[in-house]
Amino acid sequence: MIRTIGVIGSGTMGGGIAHVASAAGLDVVLHDVSSEALKVAMERIKSDLRRDVEKGRITTTQATEIMARIHPRKAFNDLGEAEFIVEAAVENLNVKREIFKKLDAIVAPEAVLATNTSSLSITAIASLTKTPESVVGMHFFNPPPVMKLVEIVRGAQTSGATIKTATALALALGKVPVICKDTPGFIVNRVARPFYGEALRLLGEGVASVEVIDKIVKTEGGFKMGPFELMDLIGIDINYAVTRSVYEQFFHEPRFRPHPIQQRMVEAGTLGRKTGKGFYTYNK
Amino acid sequence: MVPRARVVLLGESPLVQEYAALCLGKGWDVHAHLNSDSADLGLPKGTKKVAKPTKAFTIAFELTNTNPEQKRKNIIDLDRLLGPKAIILSSSLTVTVAEQASWVSRSERLVGIDAFPTMLDGGLIELATSPATDEATLATAKDFVKSLGKESAVVQDSIGMVMPRVLCMLINEACFAMMEGVAAGKDIDTAMKLGTNYPSGPTEWGKRIGFTQVEAVLSALHHSFGEDRYRVAPLLRQMALRRKSNHKEHRVRKEKLK
Repeated sequence: MIRTIGVIGSGTMGGGIAHVASAAGLDVVLHDVSSEALKVAMERIKSDLRRDVEKGRITTTQATEIMARIHPRKAFNDLGEAEFIVEAAVENLNVKREIFKKLDAIVAPEAVLATNTSSLSITAIASLTKTPESVVGMHFFNPPPVMKLVEIVRGAQTSGATIKTATALALALGKVPVICKDTPGFIVNRVARPFYGEALRLLGEGVASVEVIDKIVKTEGGFKMGPFELMDLIGIDINYAVTRSVYEQFFHEPRFRPHPIQQRMVEAGTLGRKTGKGFYTYNK
Repeated sequence: MVPRARVVLLGESPLVQEYAALCLGKGWDVHAHLNSDSADLGLPKGTKKVAKPTKAFTIAFELTNTNPEQKRKNIIDLDRLLGPKAIILSSSLTVTVAEQASWVSRSERLVGIDAFPTMLDGGLIELATSPATDEATLATAKDFVKSLGKESAVVQDSIGMVMPRVLCMLINEACFAMMEGVAAGKDIDTAMKLGTNYPSGPTEWGKRIGFTQVEAVLSALHHSFGEDRYRVAPLLRQMALRRKSNHKEHRVRKEKLK
């Protein structure tokens, strides 16, 4: 059983994964190149834990223990003691490949190297390491302490043993793992595309308005949020970027074609809730 | 106000059963006739079987999505045999209201609805009109939908309307992903429910709806737009055909027993 995990990158995802792993009783080495980012992450975890204590989900002692098991480290080599690494650095193939190349030199040969990428190819990330069979995708959803799903992504060379270890770790963290093949968008980011894409087409064709489509999808279909509300929440730019990435990785398969309505909104800077205006207007 | 009406439903399973149960539950006098090629799932208790529509009915439903020839025949029968004041609410997912209007003499009485299996679990029915539909018909349709305890939303006359079109495309994508070995159907369902909060997974939803119905809407979209975007996943088509042959076997077996 895994005792120590290393988490690379202390943004929302990395910090959240460190929080989840520590809460499950693992020792966590949390690495970031920026000590400022590490400080911010530790503060955020602390404040999340404080809220959990206030809500009676955990005791003060438990919160203290969870904090104590997370070791923020700026030195990359400190990751060497980890038996399992989860990389959650920026979503950039070159950065990730550089990290994996460096990991080769410091971790034990049997260590599993997981990446939390949501859009890059696991196979491409694995290709620069000496042990591509130990590289696996482990796609957590935002925010990691709340969202139960983890996509375990099998790269072209990932071994069965690596999949097994990653799945067991996800279960130990209290998550629900689903196994999928290394294909564009994995499961969720691919299968969800028509939810946005068809809604945009319906709007573009004048079949119904933003408000009417959202109302139908919620009231008739039983969805918690309508497609336009959800795009506003995610951010129009993020949603558009994911669509484009899946579309391009599938060599322009028409099912994934982005819609000009969304492109115009990105150009206008009306990106949803975060800018106060998207498909709806929000009071900031 | 809707006058205390007798309701007649023509069409296929399970739409006739779902709408009959809803109308019966709201106290309407419900009569129904199932298409001869439809799976014989029986009718909800209290539904009266009727061979032909008559002048006694003031509200009529045509609930066929998968057999355009039969749909056309039902609509023409309804228009010919109903009294002049009766209105027709017709499922308009695979044939537009405008096209159906071209089949009948009293096209002003025709309103489209999005009759699709499992959609009545929700609290809303979509309505659509053709250019010929008159305002009184739409108002009566809205009142009737309200009497069924549902909200209504009027959308443009377009294949698949809103919810069935979005849902069928989600199911189609899940079938492509399954077919390509991306993940197992049950894992896709788990992922969509936990990763994006969907009320149901696309493959389990497809099973509940029936892949024959999903295929009918997607094929109609494909035909209507002429775009590859709407082509049916081969796996989905296979599942639809399997269901159809099961129905056929079931019918053949039943006939042998007679």
